[in-house]
Amino acid sequence: MPEYSPRREDTPPFPLPHIEQTPPSRISDHPEFHSLRRAQRRFGIRATILSVGGFLLYVLLSSFVPAVMNQPLFGRLTLGLTLGLGQFVVMGVTAWCYVRHMRTRVDPLARGLRSRLYETESRRARAAAPAQGAGQPLRHGTRGFRTW
Amino acid sequence: MVSAAAIDDSSLQLTFVLFLTVVVITLFMALLTAPQRDEISEFYLGNRAMSPLRNGLAMCGDYLSAATLLGSTGLVALTGYDGLMYLGGTTVAWMMVLLLIAEPLHRTGKFTLGDTVALRLPRQQRPVRVALAVCILAIATLYLVAQLVGSVALLTQFTGVPSGTTRTLCVVVIGVFVILYASLGGMPGATVIQIIKAVMLVVGVLFTAGWVLHHFDWNPDLLLERASERSGSGLSFLQPGLRYGGTVSNKLDFLSLELAIVLGLAALPHVLMRLLTPRNSGVLRSSVLWAVGLVGAVCFGAGIMGLGATALLGRDTIESTDRTGNASVLLLAHELGGSVLTALLTCLAYLTLLAVAVGLTLAAASSLAHDLYSEVIRKGRASETEELTVARLSGAVIGILGILLALIAWGANTATLAFLAFAIAASAILPTIIYTLFWRRFSAKGALLSLYGGLLCSVLLAAFSPVVSSAPGSFYPEVDFAWFPLQNPGIVSIPAGFLLGWLGTVLDKGPAEEPAAHEEFEVRMLVGADD
Repeated sequence: MPEYSPRREDTPPFPLPHIEQTPPSRISDHPEFHSLRRAQRRFGIRATILSVGGFLLYVLLSSFVPAVMNQPLFGRLTLGLTLGLGQFVVMGVTAWCYVRHMRTRVDPLARGLRSRLYETESRRARAAAPAQGAGQPLRHGTRGFRTW
Repeated sequence: MVSAAAIDDSSLQLTFVLFLTVVVITLFMALLTAPQRDEISEFYLGNRAMSPLRNGLAMCGDYLSAATLLGSTGLVALTGYDGLMYLGGTTVAWMMVLLLIAEPLHRTGKFTLGDTVALRLPRQQRPVRVALAVCILAIATLYLVAQLVGSVALLTQFTGVPSGTTRTLCVVVIGVFVILYASLGGMPGATVIQIIKAVMLVVGVLFTAGWVLHHFDWNPDLLLERASERSGSGLSFLQPGLRYGGTVSNKLDFLSLELAIVLGLAALPHVLMRLLTPRNSGVLRSSVLWAVGLVGAVCFGAGIMGLGATALLGRDTIESTDRTGNASVLLLAHELGGSVLTALLTCLAYLTLLAVAVGLTLAAASSLAHDLYSEVIRKGRASETEELTVARLSGAVIGILGILLALIAWGANTATLAFLAFAIAASAILPTIIYTLFWRRFSAKGALLSLYGGLLCSVLLAAFSPVVSSAPGSFYPEVDFAWFPLQNPGIVSIPAGFLLGWLGTVLDKGPAEEPAAHEEFEVRMLVGADD
C-alpha cells in the first residue's frame, strides 16, 4: 500500500516551505470541534442510558419485585403494564429530543466546521498543485470509487 | 410437536397462489432494478436517491423478522406479560441504532462494517477484516438457518408434520428464491422486497390489531379481561413470571435474553448494512426516525394481536395447535377473517421470512467479497467486475450452506437459533463498533480479541447450556454436559466481549496506530466528508 506519492522523482530535494513548515490549521484542534464532539457524545450516552437502561431496569423490576409491578391502576391495567406502555412514550420523546438536539446544537457546528474544512482543503490543494502536478494524493483502497 | 393441521385446505391453496404471485412480481421488479453495470457501489448500496420514507420502510423490513411476527405474538398469547416485555425489547433495541450507531457509522462507512474499522485502524486492517467476516458469517448463517427452519414450521401449520420430501422441497424453494434475489438483484433487489414486505407487514399487523380492538368495542380493558379469563391462568396472565418466573436462574435467563435482544438487534449485519444506503446523513436521520415509528407501531400491533388471540381463542386451542404458540397469528386470522385473512397473513409471514433471509445473505456475501476477497486476499487490487462476481458467487454459496444446514437441523427451535445469533452480535460485533466509534485508544488487538472472544464465548456457553443437552426438547436430551445453567449466554458473553476488547487494547504493546488516523476518523465521523 503506497503511503507516499508514486511520482517521487518529481519531488524537489528541498522541503517546500509553504507545505511542510506552516502547520495546516487542523480542524481537530479547533475548540468548536471539541464542543461538537462533547455535544454529540454526551447526549448520545445520556439518552441511551435513559431509554435502554430504563427498559432493562423495568425488566429487572418486573422479574424481582413483581409485587410492586402488580399494583392495579385502572381496571386490569397494572403498574407494570402501564410502565410497559410508557416505554413507547419514552421512545417517542427520546427520538424527538434527539432530533431537536441534533438540529439546534450539533448540526450548526458541524456545518461551520465542514465549510472550514473544505476551505482548508481547497487551499492546500491549490498550494500543492504546482509541486505535485495534477495528481491527487493516493489514499488506501482507492479503486476509482471515492464516493463515501 | 403439532397435533393437527391448523388451517383448512382452501386457505392453503389461496396462500400458495398469493405467495407465488407476490414472489413472481417482486422477483421481476428485483431483476428490473438489478445493477445494470458491473459497479460494486450499486450492488452493495443500491439506489441511493431513495426518499426517507422508503429507506425507513426498508430498514423496518430488515429489522423485523418472521420471529417477531409469529414468535413474539405467540409468546404474548401464551405468557401474557412476559411476551409483552419481549416485544418491548425489540422496540427499544432500535433506539440504540438511532442514538449511538446510525449517523457515526454512516459518515465513516463505505460498503461494509470492515471499511469503517479499516478507516480507524488502517495499519492492521487485514486481520480485523478477517475477524469481522468470520463473525458476520457466523451470525448470518445462524439467522438464515433460523428463517429457513421457520419456513418448515410455518408449513406445519397447514399440513401437519410434513413428510421428508415436502420439507426438503419447501426449504429448497425458499432457499433458491433467496439466492436469486441476493445474487442477481443485489441491494436494489433486496430493497424492493424489503419495502413491499414492510408495507404489507405494517398494514397487515395494524389492520388485524384494529379488527381485534373493534371486536372488543375499542375497550382495552375488556380485551385484557377477556384475555386473562381465557388464558387458563387468570390474573397472573397480566403479571410477570408466567414463563420466566420462579427460580432466580429463570429470571436471570430472561434478563440475559433481553440484554441480547436490546444490544444484539442493533448490531445484526444486515441492519448495519442497510444504514449505509441513504444518500447523506440528513436522509439517514429521517429514515431512522420513520423506522422508529414503524417498528413501534408493528410491535404495538403484535402485542394487541397476541392478547386478542388468547381472548378470542383461548390458550388451549393455541397450545394444542403448536406448543410454541407460533400458530396464534394464523389462528386469530382464521377466527376473525376466515380463509382470506389467513392466506394474507401467511403470505406475509413467508414474505417476511424471505426478505430477512435475502438481507442476511447479501450482508454476508458483501462481507466475504469486499472484506475477505478484495481487501485481504487480493490486497485491494481486485477489479470491480471481479469483486462483483465473487459477491454473487458467495451469495449462492451462503444460500446453499443455509439450505443444507436447515435440512439437517429442521427440528431445531427457530427462536433458539435466532437468540444465539443476537447474542453473538451483541458480544462480538457491538463492542467493536462502540469502541471503534468512541474510544480513542482502541487498537487492532483489542478488536481481534473482542471479535473472536465474543464469538467463542457465546458459542461455547450455548453449547454447554440446556439448549443443546440434558433438557427435553434439546438436541441431545439423553446426555448431560450442560454445566451452564442459562439458555441465553448474553448476560456473560456481552460483558466478556466488552472486557476482552478493553483488555486487548490495554495490553497491546505493539506499534500503535498513527494518531493521524484517529484524528481523520474523528473528523469524518463528526463533521462528515460531504453532504
